[in-house]
Amino acid sequence: MSRTPEELPGDEAYTGDVLAGAPAPRVPRTFLAIGLPVLVIAVIVLVLPLFIPSFVASLVTKMMIYGLFGVSLNIIWGYAGIPSFGHAAFFGVGAYGAGILILKAGISNFWLNLLLALIATAVIAAILGVPAFRVFGVGAGAVNPIYFLLATIAFGEILSRVAIAVRPVTGGSTGLSGIPEPQLGFGFRVTSGRYYYLVFVLVAICLYIVWRIVNSHYGYALRGIHDNEKRMQALGYNTWLYKYTSWIIAAVFGGMAGVLFAYYGNTLMPNNMAMVTSDIAFLLVIMGSATTFFGPLVASVIYVGIEYLASLYLKDRWPLIFGAMFVITIMVIPQGLGVFIQKLWKKVIGGSAA
Amino acid sequence: MAPLLEVRGVSLHFGGLAALHEVSFGLEPGERLALIGPNGAGKTTLFNVLTGQLKPSAGHVFFKGQDITHAKVFERTQLGMARSFQITSLFPYQTVKVNALIALQGTRKGRYHLFSGLMGDRKMQADARALLEANDLWELREEVVSSLAYGQQRRLEIALSLASDPELLLLDEPSCGLTTVESAEITAKLKELGKKITVLMIAHDMDLVFGVAERVMLLHYGEIMCEGTCDEIRTNQMVRDIYMGTRKAYDPMAQGEE
Repeated sequence: MSRTPEELPGDEAYTGDVLAGAPAPRVPRTFLAIGLPVLVIAVIVLVLPLFIPSFVASLVTKMMIYGLFGVSLNIIWGYAGIPSFGHAAFFGVGAYGAGILILKAGISNFWLNLLLALIATAVIAAILGVPAFRVFGVGAGAVNPIYFLLATIAFGEILSRVAIAVRPVTGGSTGLSGIPEPQLGFGFRVTSGRYYYLVFVLVAICLYIVWRIVNSHYGYALRGIHDNEKRMQALGYNTWLYKYTSWIIAAVFGGMAGVLFAYYGNTLMPNNMAMVTSDIAFLLVIMGSATTFFGPLVASVIYVGIEYLASLYLKDRWPLIFGAMFVITIMVIPQGLGVFIQKLWKKVIGGSAA
Repeated sequence: MAPLLEVRGVSLHFGGLAALHEVSFGLEPGERLALIGPNGAGKTTLFNVLTGQLKPSAGHVFFKGQDITHAKVFERTQLGMARSFQITSLFPYQTVKVNALIALQGTRKGRYHLFSGLMGDRKMQADARALLEANDLWELREEVVSSLAYGQQRRLEIALSLASDPELLLLDEPSCGLTTVESAEITAKLKELGKKITVLMIAHDMDLVFGVAERVMLLHYGEIMCEGTCDEIRTNQMVRDIYMGTRKAYDPMAQGEE
């Protein structure tokens, strides 16, 4: 993981090593820049439940789930430059998929459930992606990306209407409730305290996979499409295929967040697929900055914190607060928190390394 | 030898306007052909038809004996075509090196690798270095492209076109907007290109045209008016009228009376 110098143009020592085949320097800059903070944060999050009350641990669980949700949207938005207002459609398909499988189909095994829910998400994304990219289109050759945006809004809204309409399966407008604790097999009980660790492990694995994807050959092709799709086509890239597959990949990780959310809240509402939920992912990417990998994770911590405080003190004013978060983000930190933190961190390690 | 590129009766109409009218020509392997003509003659339109950005209203384009009239842009590149753009078309938010890497992997199988890191790929890194060094850009490898000077961006523009190791290179005004010195550098660079690469270029800079091309073709109002070797073109009266400029040439009615 520390081998990939993500967004670190100053990393010359690394490049030289690769070319010369020389042994790595004692403390590689990449480790200092990325590996160390990742390790420290991972350890902190891992031991955190020992020191905090369980309701705070539950908030941190939510931060991790929403963080993954934000990161999944960022694959298409930040890296490939495809904005989507309907990412909750996939969050919702994952969540409802898991919920329906447990409550209606009676599949209690968590892993099987997860797998089937993710397959469902991928299939729905593959189906919706065809009109999204073929009819409405975004990027080079598209008439106007606004049609694509409107279509993505519609996807989420349509699915949430379906969830309301198909009452016997989805519970209608009252949603699904009473999702039991996940059954991992081998008689291992996942109590609400242990669920924290399950989410931690799964989110960490997902983040690692996403990290590998965005820094792979494929991931750099997505960046190229973000910057200049016409040139990418001239260079031989089938950009349609990249956009379509990245859409599905983003959907699967969004669905993953949805599955974890279903077990987390025990209750699912049609709103979990609708615009109100898409807006959360949208805010996380804007607040966290689309140009960094970890930005949405940072934003998720702040978002869930504010959401909790608002639920205590200003419950009726939530839409106002939510809107204010958008406005304040754009006015105060238009580039997003991620860029700010990245610059700060570079200064810190730049100072210590010199 | 069969022509590498063959254009047969290509026409393209934008509404009532014939941007290209029955254009036909061939390009032998290893040849260097320059396309000249006044502004609005249809040079870039012809390029866009050759590379697939535009589909012709009539006629066919053959590349290596295959009919590619309806092939997509990226498919043509996979077949061995590459182009540069008149208006610099790079990846502005990425570094020079990442630009080179993205360009290099465009025609390689590795472009679909989902998990193997690009930065750790030694072959790609070495090739990117070779490409950038050949174009005097290696020193600038860590610079973000949007911060480069225009002349450097133009050099990168050509470097990216060469990245796929093309058989046919289409250059759309490679020296567009450059100073005389920079333009001379580009001319020298293009002269060095091996005979494996066939070049078709649009150029306004006559030093570049006569320095690089063996054959010149004059396009005017979407039609090929004449073609010939550099010497023939230099002395051709029609070229002088149309391109070097007399008032008569810009009036299609007057031209008919010639």
